[in-house]
Amino acid sequence: MTQILIQGLLLSGLYALIAMGFMLIFSIGRTLNLAYGAYLMVGGYVYFWLSQQLGLPKIVGIGGAVLVGVLMGLLKHRLIVKTLKGDHVAVEISTLILAVVLQAGVVLVFGDSSKILLPIVPGVVTVAGAQVTYNILVATIISWVVILALYAFVRGTHTGRAMQAVSMDPKGAAISGIDPDRINLITWGISGALGALGGVFFASYTQLYPSMWVAPLIISVAVVIVGGIGSILGTLIVAHIVGFLEVIIVSVWAPELRGVFTMLLIIGVLVMRPQGLFGREETH
Amino acid sequence: MTYTKGLAVGLMTSLLASTAFAEDIKVGFIGSLSSDTGLSTLRGAEIAIEELNAAGGILGQQITMVSADTGEDVTEGVKAYEYLAETEEVDFIISGSIDDVSLGWLPRMQEFQIPTLDTWTSYIGIIDMVAEDPELMAPYFMNIASDEALATLYINFGADVLKAKMGFDSVVIVAEDTAFGQAITGLVTEALAPVAGIEVKDTIIYDIGTVDFAPIFSKAQSSGADFIYQVSSVNSQVISSQYVKLQVPMAMTGVNVSALGMEYWEDTGGAGGGISTLSPIPSVGFPLDPVSQGFVDTYQAKYTSRPVLPHFNGFNAYHGLKQAMAAAEEAGGFDDVKAWNAAMLKQDLRLEKDGKLWLRYGFWQHGEIEEVTQRTYPQNARFDLTAPYDDAQPSMVVVQWKEDGTVGVVYPFEYASTEFELPSWVK
Repeated sequence: MTQILIQGLLLSGLYALIAMGFMLIFSIGRTLNLAYGAYLMVGGYVYFWLSQQLGLPKIVGIGGAVLVGVLMGLLKHRLIVKTLKGDHVAVEISTLILAVVLQAGVVLVFGDSSKILLPIVPGVVTVAGAQVTYNILVATIISWVVILALYAFVRGTHTGRAMQAVSMDPKGAAISGIDPDRINLITWGISGALGALGGVFFASYTQLYPSMWVAPLIISVAVVIVGGIGSILGTLIVAHIVGFLEVIIVSVWAPELRGVFTMLLIIGVLVMRPQGLFGREETH
Repeated sequence: MTYTKGLAVGLMTSLLASTAFAEDIKVGFIGSLSSDTGLSTLRGAEIAIEELNAAGGILGQQITMVSADTGEDVTEGVKAYEYLAETEEVDFIISGSIDDVSLGWLPRMQEFQIPTLDTWTSYIGIIDMVAEDPELMAPYFMNIASDEALATLYINFGADVLKAKMGFDSVVIVAEDTAFGQAITGLVTEALAPVAGIEVKDTIIYDIGTVDFAPIFSKAQSSGADFIYQVSSVNSQVISSQYVKLQVPMAMTGVNVSALGMEYWEDTGGAGGGISTLSPIPSVGFPLDPVSQGFVDTYQAKYTSRPVLPHFNGFNAYHGLKQAMAAAEEAGGFDDVKAWNAAMLKQDLRLEKDGKLWLRYGFWQHGEIEEVTQRTYPQNARFDLTAPYDDAQPSMVVVQWKEDGTVGVVYPFEYASTEFELPSWVK
């Protein structure tokens, strides 16, 4: 039981970090950014290239990954989202295609064989019989720090409040003097950074492979749909529901059913409470 | 007039060209073109073909090869076989397919009756099909020891090393959800307790897409078993690297296909020490006879990309393709499948090292009973399950990667180059 608790907490923290950037875009830009998983993939490979292949310090690898994530987010907004002017279906299809193109690019540069990232923080500690790597422990702590920082940013800064305003009513926000386009651009940049950072830790916990963008994307979609639009707290709670659900299923039932109940949870919430467990009702 | 003449010359040229092309013996490769496994078979076959062509070809004809990529996917594998049979109309197929893919295209082979040599698949169920219906399965040969033979010798490793030397009494099996995983798990589960005296406490099956093994290892630990037996042929580097990263405090051995190649250390980022796996022969860390070493030298001079050392199936493809061509020469080609089958069954290549029989590329005959397992293995690679292995090579060896990145054979003792050790974090 203690092992389940520990592993559930650690995995959930990682899932919360992964899903947070996706939630921001979905809440503020009203876009299902299906290329979000590609931020994670590219972030992981950039870190691998800088720190493991070039031998640069790990902090440089993480910084490089985050920087590339920001650039990807900004470029995607400028070149795709803004160009398609709010046509959500076109944006979603384009982002999905972009993810596939990026995957092909990664195969071209790094090959299609899996790579194992060395732990960012090496070492293992045994807690109540469970093996806990410092790597996942640090990922969880960073996840919490990032989430708290994001919460403080959204609640306590002018830009954060502007993001909330655009999330609730873009036209009303514009009338109040907020530039929704600028806010969206910032949001895409932050989302890219969060995705790339999540990708570095996700890859160091699991492995690097060109199609690795799919699994985190599914996790993000699940967390955001179940959690609902615009709720950092909801994202955090649902990340823990999904994380614990997976660990419990694997530990006490059947490992091959790991993702099935997450899917059932999505369907159940879509049917019973379309706005999500913690999301606000949409008025339009 | 000039136009008519030109057309006639063109037609003649085309006719001659197509006739010359049709006279070539066409080999089809089926397997993954992006995996080390598939590339090993492909390259082994390419080198064999080059050497045969340089020596004048077969039946006065040159040999050409076309490839069909399976991507290690069952549906793509069926399409690939159909492409080779229907579009390319190949004479012979050499396969580097994994078990599930071979099982997918097998009905097509039965339908098209194209002589086919499997160099990687070891599924005993296919050999059973050969025994049950020799006529329908006449085109099929498997020149790797089938998994029954692999598992049987592994059970001996369990008795001689895990039980006798390490004192292990119980095991938890962690196996992937594939045909290969099910076959090996079934065989090991049935034999470990009665033969090696090791109790199977639990069996954990996982999906091949699993990327987080922490809860699975926790479950394995809570079983109370002394060691983990892993069965992993797909994405195997993930389970082994997480075993090392998590420093799971239990020994782990079994089957880990990623550890069969020299790239294992690089692929795990150095986090693969302590992992041991059974391996068909020749494996990494296995000393080679002069003929096989010559093949490796040619291979390494020709290819610079991975795999830097062919996996066992590369050797199987190199020697096996030459045997298939020799059989075709005796049978007058590949068209008479019955004649080719009879000639192929007679193939027997014995390779020696330091005066000892080292590797044998031959096949079990129909009705011939293997003395340890008391069963038949028609059209399967010949192996020996009893020391001192003077009839053929053992069906497998156990290799272990050490924490310093070196690799060696730990079992059978006659072939051992190093001793089996527990990882440093396992008490």
